[in-house]
Amino acid sequence: MKVNSVNKQQNFKGSFGEKTVGFITKHPALLATLAGSSVIAQKVVMSSSEATIGPAMDIAIGKTISKITNEKDGRTKQSSKVQAVRTFSQAVGGTIVGVIIRGICIAGATALCMKAGGKIGEELGKKFPDKFASIVNNGLTKKSSDYEKISNASAWGKNIGGAVALMVMLVTNFLIDAPFINLINKNATKVVKNIGVKFKKPQEDKNSKEVK
Amino acid sequence: MAQDIQKTTNGIWKLLEACTPNAEKAGNALLYLNAIGMLFAAASNTTATAIDKNTRPEDKKFLIPAGVATGVANIGIYFLMTRKIIKYLEKSALSYVDKMKDNELVAKATDFAKRAVKKAEKGIFKKPELAVSMKKDFFNGADINGTITEAAKNAYKNNVKAAASVAGAFAGAVIGCSILTPIIRDVSAYFVQKRMEKNNPELKNKPHKPYYDPTRVGTGIYNRKQPLSMTSFMTFTNKNLNGNMKI
Repeated sequence: MKVNSVNKQQNFKGSFGEKTVGFITKHPALLATLAGSSVIAQKVVMSSSEATIGPAMDIAIGKTISKITNEKDGRTKQSSKVQAVRTFSQAVGGTIVGVIIRGICIAGATALCMKAGGKIGEELGKKFPDKFASIVNNGLTKKSSDYEKISNASAWGKNIGGAVALMVMLVTNFLIDAPFINLINKNATKVVKNIGVKFKKPQEDKNSKEVK
Repeated sequence: MAQDIQKTTNGIWKLLEACTPNAEKAGNALLYLNAIGMLFAAASNTTATAIDKNTRPEDKKFLIPAGVATGVANIGIYFLMTRKIIKYLEKSALSYVDKMKDNELVAKATDFAKRAVKKAEKGIFKKPELAVSMKKDFFNGADINGTITEAAKNAYKNNVKAAASVAGAFAGAVIGCSILTPIIRDVSAYFVQKRMEKNNPELKNKPHKPYYDPTRVGTGIYNRKQPLSMTSFMTFTNKNLNGNMKI
């Protein structure tokens, strides 16, 4: 069965996925960046898209809901604007704090894996031979070269550091993120208010717009 | 009971194996870590609603299940969708690498190996030992201008697979975070409001307050015992310190 499916794939030239992979391989810098990226890169990509597309989505959803439900007072529309500013502030503030904390945790975990990873792996491998031997030992202890050791340590460091960062952020979210995001939101709300006033006037008065 | 523990530990092992730094599974680790982060954020937001003193118990009865349902739908759809995308791209990378002609592979792998060595030799994060080791591993006779080894070819292939799976994880994260989450959050908030209005008919007749009044940004607006409107619900979930859980 497997052989058949592989043959079928090979006959089907240039699927969307293969084109995507081909595009990546044509740009060596992109390839290296993607292959070496950690949760930090994921956070940056995710949040930057959230900060740009998210608010527009919020407003569009607000409009759609008021249209479908025939809402007359436009309450949903208004709320969606509040949410749009909020989404932006959360994406910006969460990224700045999240990236710093993730960076620190990953750097620490990678250093630990480099120095003590082999020993810890050996100990775990002895205690849980059937489980850990295949997972940890291959990664950190059975090293044939420095290259393998360093790349494995950095790969383990990325994942362990990312997991530790999640735990750390359960605390820092309350202490740092929340007040920081509120500060951004306060300023963003003021900016939006000013823009809103500037843009509203010509829209309300159509005659004056035409004269201009 | 013993069986349950066995099942749970087996599940943890599977999760750990999925996160193991392995070239083909690089995107999986990102997916799992992100899903766990989203789970934590949703759980803390719901807990914040549950322990908040300003929310009436009648409102809580509806808000907590609504928060749980939103979180489950959001994370579930994100997880399943992203896993599909990652698997598809991994498969594509595998067939792409298999189809590659030998001279093309050699050219690309040589370029890859040279870049990797140069990156390790220079820059802020330089690792001289790594560069020496890579030269030994990747080039015959440790000569950077010479021919490459099988190890270099394999490393390049693994890199392509890893890059494809990470690209899948990124695509899933972007779609999930900037399209799926707003839809699920906003639509569920709308239903929360409708439910509140049904229980408290006086809400419908309340005059609407401007949404970007800077005075409303202050903390004072939470000293309320009145029923929730959608605006105040959204401001509550977001303005309340815990609503900012964004891991």
